[in-house]
Amino acid sequence: MTPPPQTRYSTTVTAVGEQVAEFVDHGLLIWFAEGAPEELHFFSVLHRPTVTTGGVRPGDTVRIDDRAYRVTAVGEVANDNMVNLGHMDLKANGEVEPPLPGDICLEELPLSEPRPGTTLVIEGEADEAVP
Amino acid sequence: MAEYKAVRVEAGRGGWGGPLTIKPTADRPLVYSVTGGGIHPVAQRIADLTGGEAFDGFKSSAPFDKIAVAVIDCGGTARVGVYPMKKVPTVDVHATSPAGPLAMFIKEDIFVSGVGPDNVKEA
Repeated sequence: MTPPPQTRYSTTVTAVGEQVAEFVDHGLLIWFAEGAPEELHFFSVLHRPTVTTGGVRPGDTVRIDDRAYRVTAVGEVANDNMVNLGHMDLKANGEVEPPLPGDICLEELPLSEPRPGTTLVIEGEADEAVP
Repeated sequence: MAEYKAVRVEAGRGGWGGPLTIKPTADRPLVYSVTGGGIHPVAQRIADLTGGEAFDGFKSSAPFDKIAVAVIDCGGTARVGVYPMKKVPTVDVHATSPAGPLAMFIKEDIFVSGVGPDNVKEA
């Protein structure tokens, strides 16, 4: 029997930087938790997380409002950044080898610009399900 | 008035850029750590050797013109470009190379990566 999915991260958008729309067109969303230094705000989606367990890995699902994206690759520092700083570099490029250590790569689907109130949830199989 | 000393910061294993010579001044005293978990050991070492003031960018904000060096733990996309764009010497503790939307600002004379405490030496 498959155990229920585990929530690795859950958060709500509080503000969106002026340059985010341009990055969305290039399949990139940069996230930082509220409280990040001001110089990072112009290109960032700022948010207030409620679940920061981490442990994101390929095969997980990122849900942004009602859209779902399968995670295809996770860079070696991506989980640390996410847990410590609320920082994610989401790239909808379908890469299976993360090009950069901070990357969380998603299947290549269009992104949309988050708004205040947009939710992001990352879910995956519970650890017990891994052989 | 504080006396400041210079340090030389070299790229570590797999790193890129540099070496940078960092010397805080009375006008630019801050060793600005924009990293998870408080002041990073690399920032602390630069502060200890130079006499600069270690500063946690996630606790409070500092004006760019007070920053002698920014220490980041960037995974390659966002922070790597922001501080070079603002002409702030930047040290990434991860071994990144120019990439991301601000890659054009990342040059050897303002950016060095893969840096651990051992790569920071008295100049």
